[in-house]
Amino acid sequence: MTFGEITALADISIDFPAGGIHAVVGQNGAGKTTLARTIAGIVRPDTGSLHIHGQDIETGNVQSARRAGIELVHQSFALPPSFTVAEALEFGRGGGIGFFSRKELARRAGELLDTLEMDIDPDSRIRDLPIELQQAVEIARALSSNARILILDEPTAVLPPPEIESLFQRIRKLGDSGVTVLLILHKTREIEAVADSITVLRNGRFVAGPLPCEEIEADRVAEMIMGTETEKPDPGSGQSDGMTRPAHDGDPGQVKPMPSGPASAYGSALELSGVRTDDTAAGICLDDVTLSVKCGEIVGIAGVEGNGQATLMRVLAGLAGVSEGRMDVCGTPAGELTLAQRRSLGLRIIPFDRNSEGLSLTSMLWENWVAGELVGKPLFSLINPPDIRQRCTASMSIWGVNYSSVGQHAGSLSGGNCQKLILARELDDAARTVIAAQPTRGLDIGATSFVWSTLRTARHNGCGILLISSDLDELFEISDRILVMRSGRIVCQFGPPFDVVQTGRAMMGAAA
Amino acid sequence: MVDFHEFFVAILRSGTPLVYAAMAGVIVQRSGIWHLGLEGIMIIGACATIVGIVLTHSFTIAILAATLTCVAASALQWFVIEKLRANQIIVGLGITGIGIGGTAFAVEIIFGSLAAVSAPFGVPRIGGDFGPYSRLSILVLAMPFVVLAIWVLLSRTRFGLRLAAAGEHPFAARSVGANPSVMRLLAFAAGGILCALAGAELAAGSLQIFAQNMVAGRGFMGFAAVIFGGGHPVGSALAAAFFSLVGVAGIRMQIHFGAFVSHDLLLCLPYLATVLGVWLTSRTRRGTRAAAQIAELQDH
Repeated sequence: MTFGEITALADISIDFPAGGIHAVVGQNGAGKTTLARTIAGIVRPDTGSLHIHGQDIETGNVQSARRAGIELVHQSFALPPSFTVAEALEFGRGGGIGFFSRKELARRAGELLDTLEMDIDPDSRIRDLPIELQQAVEIARALSSNARILILDEPTAVLPPPEIESLFQRIRKLGDSGVTVLLILHKTREIEAVADSITVLRNGRFVAGPLPCEEIEADRVAEMIMGTETEKPDPGSGQSDGMTRPAHDGDPGQVKPMPSGPASAYGSALELSGVRTDDTAAGICLDDVTLSVKCGEIVGIAGVEGNGQATLMRVLAGLAGVSEGRMDVCGTPAGELTLAQRRSLGLRIIPFDRNSEGLSLTSMLWENWVAGELVGKPLFSLINPPDIRQRCTASMSIWGVNYSSVGQHAGSLSGGNCQKLILARELDDAARTVIAAQPTRGLDIGATSFVWSTLRTARHNGCGILLISSDLDELFEISDRILVMRSGRIVCQFGPPFDVVQTGRAMMGAAA
Repeated sequence: MVDFHEFFVAILRSGTPLVYAAMAGVIVQRSGIWHLGLEGIMIIGACATIVGIVLTHSFTIAILAATLTCVAASALQWFVIEKLRANQIIVGLGITGIGIGGTAFAVEIIFGSLAAVSAPFGVPRIGGDFGPYSRLSILVLAMPFVVLAIWVLLSRTRFGLRLAAAGEHPFAARSVGANPSVMRLLAFAAGGILCALAGAELAAGSLQIFAQNMVAGRGFMGFAAVIFGGGHPVGSALAAAFFSLVGVAGIRMQIHFGAFVSHDLLLCLPYLATVLGVWLTSRTRRGTRAAAQIAELQDH
């Protein structure tokens, strides 16, 4: 199976026993999604065969796979956004033309949602549902036709932490009812929480599995996922000698303890005092937000998603107006500045959604890469594509982006490589203040640790970093301080050692 | 009162081809393609009907021939868009060009001149004792039922949902085993049949004549009705009826105020109404349902 010039799956033979919950793990680009789609018949393998309960299934044919009871829930769900829930549950059913009345449709949807104990209004539109309900609808759709094998492609990647546990409960219940579940995951903690067995893929090749989960240690799994390297590789070490070093850095080799990094003399990287917004259209309003990020520190913003983090991001990027309060970037008042002016102060942003805000997926790598520096230039300034391509190529190899040509579209990169491309653009020599929003969402272990070590390197080089994340593990791992945001306010601050229970309580609004 | 009936008959007569064309546009738009070939396929239908009647003296054979040629032209449009991956806008306009030029060419080959071809008879009439309505063709009578059937097909069947999925989120359609490409071919085939009816009604419904470029933008007005009607079959049919009403009213005004107002301005009315209607739609709706881009399966 090959995609473009990269082989996605190479000669894989796996035998999953019937029943139980089987995890398939591996880094991004290891071929997990391709494997899932091959089983579901969406992707036709060049060679090989597929057997379900001993029966040979035609490959590359969704209908015959579904007839054999295979259903796939995609990572970013495959439901038309304008459909109602009832329509979305109906359109995948088998059979002929399939005439129905509105009543009949609602009744069928209601019955299915009831048996699955899902509390969703069948008349609401898919695009209006929060992401966890969209996922629930897709699971319901998959189960509407007596699925015997349910494949979930990275179901936890898009969910806020509280929803993950309820998803796992649902999966366990399915497993108990006799459905064989294949789960594509990449957090070892999640695998331990839910799976019976584990199968590891690496670079499109089969490594091991299915191994029973009780018999295998987490460290060993990480080792198998990463390959011959140790389980905590340091891919960030490669780029510190080029891209993230600030111009004034005189001593890159010596690691000093935070906050006495080389740039601490520069003081404040980001100051917000009493910032309010009153544009409700932009989401939750900020209410008297005061925070400061010093050079050479990582400040985490914890909070359940939808509590004003997106608004904070928009305010910092100059996309939403501030009605009250002041905002300084590197000691310069920035409240009235355009994005280009803010960038020239050293403000860099790694946005929430890398596919829509971070990159133009239909543009080439070099165009995406150079966009950051073009923002500050006059509208009609000439550019020199051959030169940009050359510099982009150099930068891509420093950052270890896995690509075939700088002329390829950004949409053809895997998630981890997309994020590396964004890092390569944002963490240039002039970066002083970095806002990183969910920088590792949906990334595998390798890419996650790459992003973390990159952020740590940037901190060491004197950048002040504001890390917005709903993943507490991530915040605890790399933050120096954590602020908790709730309903558009900063409600409290924690210093290390961090406590999950305390932080979680502050996020949920219980008495801290 | 008699005048009202005459007025209504005139609207039905000029509106029915628009409604059929709009229905073709609605179905194809559901599958994710903007049907800009309506004009061309409609004129092929008009030409084939008249030529068929003249050559075979049978309406049944003529309408079958029209249906076949229109389905073939639609399939060609589908093939170039879907299989050769050409830009759908350009292909649609190209099909329109082929239709207009090709029908003139065919008429010249068959009859040796570019003059208008008139047929001895046209689409069967309703007949009976319905006053001015009895002179309308059976295609006018069938029109509301066709619109209703298309609404049921699109909104009340699994087939309709899959067609909409193929247009809006092709990967979703593919994931449940519906091939978006095949769904689009089916939509184009259905559109071809409807365009044949539109052309037949236009050329043989009352006039029984085929002249060069006789569709004169009605296909594009049908396309505009799709947008005006938000891609909904009933809404688009009403939009087409509205355009036709404005057109008929324009002709009436010519009779009454022709001395004071420019003829050309009055003849422009339906087209002005089209522009106005599309503008209004863009103000009141958040766009229509079909995806703007085809040929890029959302593969993640």
